Amino acid sequence: MNTKKKGPAAVAAGNQKRPLLVSLRYYKGFYLMFLPVLIFAIVFHYLPMFGVRYAFYTYKGIKEPVFVGLQHFEKMMKMSGFWNAFGNTITLSVIKLLLNTFMAVVLSLMLNELRSATFKKVTQTIVYLPHFMSWVVTASVFTLILSPSDAGLINALMVKFGIVKEGIYFLGDKNWWRPMFYIINVWKDTGWGTIIFIATLSGINPELYEAASMDGAGRLNKLRFITMPALSNTIITVLILNLAKVMNLFESVFVMQNDAVTQKSDVLHTYIYTQTFNSGALPDYGYTTAVGLTASLVGCALVLICNKASQKVRGRGIV
Amino acid sequence: MRVKKMLAAGMAMTMAASMVLSGCSSGSKTSGSAANAESSTATGETAGKNDIKKPEKITIMVNGTVTTKPNNREAFEKKWEALTGIDLEIIQPDHDAYFDVLGQTFASGPENWPDLIILNGSYYTGYAEEGALWDMTDAWNNSELKASGRVTGEEVIDNTKINGKLFGFPVARRGGCLTYVKKAWLDRCELKAPETYDEYLNMLKAFTEGDPDGNGINGDTYGVSAAGFVGQGDPSSNYLPEFYQDAKPNFEKGEDGLWYDGFTKDNFKGALTRLRDAYAAGYIDKETLTNGTKDCRNKFYEDKFGVFTYWAGTWASNLKNNLEANGKDGELVPLKPIKEIGAYEEGTAPVWAITSSCENPEGVFKYFIETMLDGGDTQLLWSYGVEDVHWSKKAETILDNTYAEGQFHTKESLEQPGTQYTKQHLDPMLSIVKWDEDPGKDTVKEEAKVSQELFNKNCRQASIIPSTDVMATYNGDLTTLKNSIVADVVVQGISIEEAYARFEKEGGAEWSKKIVDSLNEQESAK
Repeated sequence: MNTKKKGPAAVAAGNQKRPLLVSLRYYKGFYLMFLPVLIFAIVFHYLPMFGVRYAFYTYKGIKEPVFVGLQHFEKMMKMSGFWNAFGNTITLSVIKLLLNTFMAVVLSLMLNELRSATFKKVTQTIVYLPHFMSWVVTASVFTLILSPSDAGLINALMVKFGIVKEGIYFLGDKNWWRPMFYIINVWKDTGWGTIIFIATLSGINPELYEAASMDGAGRLNKLRFITMPALSNTIITVLILNLAKVMNLFESVFVMQNDAVTQKSDVLHTYIYTQTFNSGALPDYGYTTAVGLTASLVGCALVLICNKASQKVRGRGIV
Repeated sequence: MRVKKMLAAGMAMTMAASMVLSGCSSGSKTSGSAANAESSTATGETAGKNDIKKPEKITIMVNGTVTTKPNNREAFEKKWEALTGIDLEIIQPDHDAYFDVLGQTFASGPENWPDLIILNGSYYTGYAEEGALWDMTDAWNNSELKASGRVTGEEVIDNTKINGKLFGFPVARRGGCLTYVKKAWLDRCELKAPETYDEYLNMLKAFTEGDPDGNGINGDTYGVSAAGFVGQGDPSSNYLPEFYQDAKPNFEKGEDGLWYDGFTKDNFKGALTRLRDAYAAGYIDKETLTNGTKDCRNKFYEDKFGVFTYWAGTWASNLKNNLEANGKDGELVPLKPIKEIGAYEEGTAPVWAITSSCENPEGVFKYFIETMLDGGDTQLLWSYGVEDVHWSKKAETILDNTYAEGQFHTKESLEQPGTQYTKQHLDPMLSIVKWDEDPGKDTVKEEAKVSQELFNKNCRQASIIPSTDVMATYNGDLTTLKNSIVADVVVQGISIEEAYARFEKEGGAEWSKKIVDSLNEQESAK
């Protein structure tokens, strides 16, 4: 009862020694509000994790699973398809992440320089919109725009201006597929990526810019000595958080993939899809689970490595 | 997609829970059903005709090919129950999530398995290999249906046998694709329907370089389009049969009874060369790799190309109607297979399979599967649905079509207003039994009938490919590699030698041999 009369700081300090049950009772409102989130996380995030045990079993969904130890991992290491998909996942994801982050930073800086609030808002809304388009729609639109036939806007323009004689099959050519993939990703996600950077930029104390102006700093110097240092923490945080997702590449690749570009586009999750649905037999969920587990472990390792690097370079990490 | 999967998972859990709570399909199953079923599967024994007991209840799990809820499934169910005197429980997941839900149901244990399921392709062979299906060979051999002499499609039934045993019954043919050519284009180019590959190629050349659409511009059309260069194992998705001819990219049983991989044969190299040359010449749509079937249909309706390999039967009418709706000439010539093809290929038909946990499989075969093709009221129900719900003989006007009293006609679709039903689960044009009393035979449009009859007369059954563990291990990678190589040759124009060197280097030849060996081992162990 006495705690009710204490201030929040005292309560917080007192809680360090408070028994759990007393604490639960005191903060029951907060815990009740947290309960749905906890249940959701347990049911949909933690319970499914028990499924990773199938990576060590052969299981086709009908008979009881049979324990095979590390057999699936041994097979995985021998399959060229797996290594191709692994390499592609890393390459496509990392380049996409760096490009998207870079473009988002550049766009944020440009938006930050806009003086007309209305124009800024309209521009922001327009650049956010592509993020809300599904990948299926995005792929359909770009398949049409990049079509090698007369219907393809880009090829029609290039032919008209004499840049090429015949339309280029951008999405069906091994050399062109990856650049197109990056461009489409930048188009779709750059706008959305600016939100967090614009929020950071708007939080920079304007007095810093005023002081810099008085010291004779031009725009570039203000950018170099005030804006970029202020943004750097956010950039590192965004990069590390997104690194956790680099192994999860699927939808964007799946909807744009075709037989001609498999070597350059097959990623781990499309590889799992192929193993599951195109094997001409009942899939062995054990093998596909093993591939999925490997992808998760690599993603986890990447985050930890980057966090460690961040700790060394900047003196602190985010995880 | 993810939402669908979550829904599917939710449905499976709900279903499993409801089955557990309701004591698993009432009286039709017992706690010892799985063991019981295993013994019947192993022996394939079937009770004598007189011993077959009529089931009190049958539980089926079906996809969207059976009358769906929006199409008044309840009326269908009631009518079926009235005709047979058996309680019917229909579990019908979303069509696209059917195999997900089915897999989850099987994974939940034999006590939750329905009595009957619909399977096709690798699911059929896979479920059979796993011992989940009842061997109905004896039931079929001793059936009244077989003895009736009404069955016209015994080859279709034989083709669904796995290692000589029948684990699923095809109640209709699979159907397949044949090649349609726009008649107006042939006429403008003063050509007749091609009968050989040279004539076919000549036609494509004329359609690509000439002015077959008559718009006054030469070369703004092309010969043929397709959704991809390689069908995904199913012959029905081979949309370029004139180029493939007798070559196949997948596994096939030779006349000597041994399995081989068609991709490794010389005739496949010939097919690749034909495809590459025609693509380079512009006869084949440049976007074939990225086309979906809908893209192809739309281009066909817009008169961008003139030759289209697509489904025989009802689709002949759909293509014609859509061309005319686009202001184009809708008359199509369905081609007989050119000399080099010999016959179109018909894929393995979907089957109704009795699960090995079904307590009275003989009864289910007799009272469910056999009655579906009884040539009477039950076949009528499966073919056209319920009177005055899905079809009628009353005088009325349906969507601008006026029918006299006593004239059989289908009603307006409940699920898709603005269209008329053509069939329910069974397509009479794909029937494997003689059905002289089919009341709807006069309602089938002429072009649909012609194309289907032409296909039926000029097709051969594709071999069913059994499933092996080795295949499950390697075929996913092998298929990806093969498809990539085909695209390399046709689109990027690499040489056949380079293509097959890659096949060897990346392990394709080794995987292919392992799979072939496993198939032949299984064959010799029969």
